[in-house]
Amino acid sequence: MEQVLNDWAFYTFSALAIVSALGVVFFKNIVYAVLSLISTLIMVSGLFFSMGAELIGGLQILIYAVAIVVFYVLVISTVPEFKGNSVDPGYMLVSMPLGFILFLELAYVSLYGIWKEAVGVITPEVEVEVGNTKAVATMLFTKYLFPFEVASIILLVAMIGAIIIGRKNHVIDEEEAK
Amino acid sequence: MLAAEYTPYVALSGLLMVLGLVGIIVRRNLIAMLLSTELMLNAVNIAFVAFDKMLFNVEGQVFVFFILTIAAAEAAIGLGLIMAIYRLRKDVNTETITELKL
Repeated sequence: MEQVLNDWAFYTFSALAIVSALGVVFFKNIVYAVLSLISTLIMVSGLFFSMGAELIGGLQILIYAVAIVVFYVLVISTVPEFKGNSVDPGYMLVSMPLGFILFLELAYVSLYGIWKEAVGVITPEVEVEVGNTKAVATMLFTKYLFPFEVASIILLVAMIGAIIIGRKNHVIDEEEAK
Repeated sequence: MLAAEYTPYVALSGLLMVLGLVGIIVRRNLIAMLLSTELMLNAVNIAFVAFDKMLFNVEGQVFVFFILTIAAAEAAIGLGLIMAIYRLRKDVNTETITELKL
């Protein structure tokens, strides 16, 4: 019963994710594209939940579907409506068949390939006992503590960089004005 | 038979990756191209978690955490650059921003 429900969750979430991803790629109006992106992100979060990665699913909604999308909405509200072709027909003619062939290859390999499996220690039994959040957080704060701190520095640098790049009057302009 | 449960997720990740790639190639709007990169990052996240569940590990989920961080940084910097380009050129169309073209 659980397996059947999980299958249905996968089919529903993946179908909606694919439809919304098509919307991201092909909507001419950029606001619709961003709304489709929100839909895709929430569906991907649902896929994480159906795989049993609750921590990542929650973070996906909190960080991606809220914080990052707000960036896009703010920028779109300042840049006026885009004029001109939304998609290039010449590139479309080349990239769609090539992309389809690439997808067929990836799907064939992932569905019929032989993958290495079950080499780690977090078996489903252990995961039920410990809990996904605790397992991931323990790994994050023991083995990957240093990369975690580096990631925080990257965020700080990105924040400062975004402020400096997005500032209206650059320092050089002010010196020239004097 | 546990791996067979998660292979459809890997296939879906491939499809989202290809869609993001096609989006970057065909779109002419800089903001829409950044949106397509977000699609590709999400495809990688799905593959990471699916392989994690196959291998009975949690390290892939830690890397998804890092990808989320980098995606936030990438969005902030990329959109800042787009704002700077827009102030300079009053345009975000890739067909007209061609100074580096030979």
